[in-house]
Amino acid sequence: MEHQDAGQPDYGTGQKKLGIYLIGVLSCSILTLISFWAVLSSQFTKGQIFLIIYSAACIQFFVQLICFLRLNTQTKQGQMNIMSFIFTGVILTSIILGSLWIMSNLNYNMMS
Amino acid sequence: MHSEMTVHEHHLDSNSTDVFGFWIYIMTDCILFGTLFTTFLVLNAQVQNGITLKTYLDLYDVLAETFLLLGSNFTFCLAILSLYQNKLLRVQAWLALTFLLGASFVFIEVNEFIHLATEGFSWDLNGHASSFFTLVGTHGLHVSFGLLWILMMIIQLPFLKITPITKRRMTYLGLFWNFLDIVWVFVFTIVYLMGAL
Repeated sequence: MEHQDAGQPDYGTGQKKLGIYLIGVLSCSILTLISFWAVLSSQFTKGQIFLIIYSAACIQFFVQLICFLRLNTQTKQGQMNIMSFIFTGVILTSIILGSLWIMSNLNYNMMS
Repeated sequence: MHSEMTVHEHHLDSNSTDVFGFWIYIMTDCILFGTLFTTFLVLNAQVQNGITLKTYLDLYDVLAETFLLLGSNFTFCLAILSLYQNKLLRVQAWLALTFLLGASFVFIEVNEFIHLATEGFSWDLNGHASSFFTLVGTHGLHVSFGLLWILMMIIQLPFLKITPITKRRMTYLGLFWNFLDIVWVFVFTIVYLMGAL
């Protein structure tokens, strides 16, 4: 109990530091603005916009994971969180990519 | 000595296990949103009667929503910081600001829904519209429940004070609230920005 009060339990969410939150909110703002600017400025082709907004979203995803959710490998619990996170990632990939693949195949075979 | 150690570790473990359990819940929520995104993407590929979101979309509204949610995320982090400095009033103030930002987000979103529905992009129009309202609406509902939760924390903190228990509850709330912002990143990229092309 004493240890818990003094040592600040982190529950695998890392140390609380203002600097990391500031970095997080600044980089997320910049990435968001880049995405919206790419679409609104209408000076890119569709392919370029796809590339820009998806890379911005993926980078922002990892920035948010690290800066706000504080996913880390330093504690045992952090490692457990990451393991379940990776497992979820595998399931999500198979659900999303699998569905899109099957549906586009069906569309190709039935509609044309 | 040995038995003391195990008791001590067990206590820490039960707390950590609770938070890990909440993390698992967040992961199942990820899968829920993943299936909704898939539904949206599949139904978005073939729109039968040609009416899509593009005609009715106002990207500046979405930009405002994005920054409101990001801002509320940051103010929540500041609340967590104050919590670990044992400053109760500041925690409540940051939580109240978080609540205001989140409430503005929901307000803009509901207005947008009403605007879309009255303009003719109703949820019963086609599969594309239905999946749009289901996906964005589920996210909005999550944010609304998060707001309710923030309100409960603001009310209960002065009574319960800052204890390991309230710290743990704030950790849950923080995971939930930050997770919603992550989902929103994909909502505005896949639904709104792709929809505007």
